Amino acid sequence: MATSQPSGGSPPKPWEQEGNTSGPKPFRPPSNTSTADSVEASGTANPGELVPSVNRTNTAANMNALSRPVPTRPWEQQNYGSTYGGYGSNLGVNSGYGSGTYGSALGGYGSSYGGGMYGGSSMYNRGGYGGGGLYGSSGMYGGGGMYNSSFGGTMGGYGMGMGTGMGMGMGMGPYGGQDPNDPFNEPPSPPGFWISFLRVMQGAVNFFGRVAMLIDQNTQAFHMFMSALLQLFDRGGMLYGELARFVLRMLGIRTKPRKMQQPPQGPNGLPLPHQPHGNQNYIEGPKAAAPGGGGGWDNVWGN
Amino acid sequence: MPVFKAPFNGYSVKFSPFYESRLAVATAQNFGILGNGRIHVLELAPGAPGVTESVAFDTADAVYDVCWSESHDSVLIAAIGDGSVKIYDTALPPPSNPIRSFQEHAREVHSVDYNPTRRDSFLTASWDDTVKLWAMDRPASIRTFKEHAYCVYQAVWNPKHGDVFASASGDCTLRIWDVREPGSTMIIPAHDFEILSCDWNKYDDCILATSSVDKTIKVWDVRSYRAPLAVLNGHGYAVRKVKFSPHRRNLMASCSYDMTVCLWDYMVEDALVGRYDHHTEFAVGIDMSVLVEGLMASTGWDELVYIWQQGMDPRAS
Repeated sequence: MATSQPSGGSPPKPWEQEGNTSGPKPFRPPSNTSTADSVEASGTANPGELVPSVNRTNTAANMNALSRPVPTRPWEQQNYGSTYGGYGSNLGVNSGYGSGTYGSALGGYGSSYGGGMYGGSSMYNRGGYGGGGLYGSSGMYGGGGMYNSSFGGTMGGYGMGMGTGMGMGMGMGPYGGQDPNDPFNEPPSPPGFWISFLRVMQGAVNFFGRVAMLIDQNTQAFHMFMSALLQLFDRGGMLYGELARFVLRMLGIRTKPRKMQQPPQGPNGLPLPHQPHGNQNYIEGPKAAAPGGGGGWDNVWGN
Repeated sequence: MPVFKAPFNGYSVKFSPFYESRLAVATAQNFGILGNGRIHVLELAPGAPGVTESVAFDTADAVYDVCWSESHDSVLIAAIGDGSVKIYDTALPPPSNPIRSFQEHAREVHSVDYNPTRRDSFLTASWDDTVKLWAMDRPASIRTFKEHAYCVYQAVWNPKHGDVFASASGDCTLRIWDVREPGSTMIIPAHDFEILSCDWNKYDDCILATSSVDKTIKVWDVRSYRAPLAVLNGHGYAVRKVKFSPHRRNLMASCSYDMTVCLWDYMVEDALVGRYDHHTEFAVGIDMSVLVEGLMASTGWDELVYIWQQGMDPRAS
């Protein structure tokens, strides 16, 4: 290590000067070697293990009893395309943003629409529903995108719907790549563009992933924000209502204030169901009316 | 009290364990959502209420956490948003840095902690649900701890036991690990919501605290972990970090999305002993100096780093 002074370590910590706390410890006594050696001696070392980014939730070692279901991670809309490299693997693009909510419900939407962006699916990324051709994969062949992506979801992006610029979508088989000798296919666009495009999409995945994490950590704050917003709209609506009434008044059109409106009455003086202002009373009506022998609400509206 | 204005949003601040006037700050552009990151090394001017930047390192993605090496006074380790872990030598100029970069995590690395007893290894916790153990003299991680079912937000070494650490995760569990054991040695379902942070008591190595999205801090004893020793209410939103004092047994500090920094004494009934509202955005980074009792630092999304003495107003200059 290129350090200036490989000193013996940091000064002693304040808590090290104090004696140890009494009582039995639930820990095994520390080993006297270095951390690396003690891990290796225990046989648990696994140097340089790369963590796969997919389906981590299903690991066998998962033995805790969670008090709530773990939400799907935003990035589980996996970007297979870029993971496995190939450009034209539009699955990567599809799953770019999300569409778990839309894509899976819509199924083949992506393929008919060619909506790389919106048609994709794999929020759940177990098999995935409709994916889509990159651009305008039209007609039957474009549907290839749809079938492929269902493989793609599980296989990890080998299914490619190669959308050419002409809107001629070629659905390749689950293992199929782009066949350079296929006369129906135009040569692929320069990889530079696709790769950079996929990088942009990867950035978008990251972006939404991080935004989602922040919202996750701020459940309350986000809820407050949304309810404040809704309240604002609500108030705004009332303000506009009052303003409109005022303007109408100025124009000489008299609108009845709401309170004075007389609801059409049903039998026993009960308001009819599904009246906007009578609704509430309808629910409570029969209960309140019963002891009084009916008509308990007769005078409510002040007529 | 010194204030440093960073160009990006602050994410973490750590005092050097070697020099009482030195600290490192991890920052990220655009609130850490998209963009670059920067690590600042700050020096407190002796006597004067000022702080100067001695060196800064740019990164290609957000820096979420930083920690100082306990064995080399100029070495610091950064947890980067692109899943990499980078080691910097502050004695070298920025072009020769980082001196190492490890790319093993699949997702954002959210915390890094240096082993304070053995001083030869460090832990990283990542959103890929794993914790990794690294040694300075190894070219790759030594071991990966995969048990959490959701992002791991923080992993912290036990201050007295070089083989034991704790990890706080979004799967609502706190886990205690021994690096020699194949699996976690204890699983504490500590909160009903995501746990964002944890820290060990420095004077009783069986006690640790967790902080959560449910706005509370809970103090646990690993010898009887069925119920918490204390539940500290007072923050208005999720509590982002919790940290035990290196000098006083019962004291701890926390920072929260409610933009405040709080001080707690978990042994007394009115546990909240101090509240600082100097940040104008989310307060997400906090540290207490090991070398100077009562010296605190905090940072947040308002791009400011405050360093102040406990009991003083951080804004007073």
